[in-house]
Amino acid sequence: MSFREKSAWLMVICLGVVSIGYAALVTTMSTAVGQLVPPLIPLLVVFTILVAVLATGSHILIAVFAPKDAAAPVDERDRAISARAGAWSGYVFATGIALALGQYLIGRNGDLLFYCVFGSWVLAQLSEYAFAIALYRRGI
Amino acid sequence: MSKPPPITNRVRELREARAMTQAELGDAIGVTRHTIIAIEQGHYSPSLESAFRIARLFGLGLEDVFGWEEPARSARGGKR
Repeated sequence: MSFREKSAWLMVICLGVVSIGYAALVTTMSTAVGQLVPPLIPLLVVFTILVAVLATGSHILIAVFAPKDAAAPVDERDRAISARAGAWSGYVFATGIALALGQYLIGRNGDLLFYCVFGSWVLAQLSEYAFAIALYRRGI
Repeated sequence: MSKPPPITNRVRELREARAMTQAELGDAIGVTRHTIIAIEQGHYSPSLESAFRIARLFGLGLEDVFGWEEPARSARGGKR
């Protein structure tokens, strides 16, 4: 498995785990107060820091075990896979944004709009890594 | 998702005949060992530039290393 593929797996795990934790926390808080809690900056800061720390730490770890692979520059196959995965995940993001805007037009709920856009961004990122993994494994 | 490309190659055969490793071939043409593995397994068709580099490295023409396999025609396949 190449360093780039390992990196994509790690990002799926790091971003996925932290996002599920964030969603669970928002759901718990919203259930407790009986309505959707507005987005809280401290929670988002913690989310960002956790993803950054986990991603950096795990990448350092795999780079230590395979330094040559980690130091190898991105080649034409990596670039092609990255471009295709990025293009496909763009559709995921666009669909999420369209749905978020649709819900806002109907419900006029700004907090929900924020969560929908944020969720679309996370899903698009996750799908980009997933598409890259699939292309690395099945061929491009 | 992606169908295997109809481009065949003799990269593994030629590389092994010259006792080269995948990493050595990758270094020689400027791609990673994993890309050479993908090319040999038919999971990736190299760019024209890399294909020429590989062929030149083996001292052969492009079509001596790479081939084109006509995709199987469907049951309703068209006329020639």
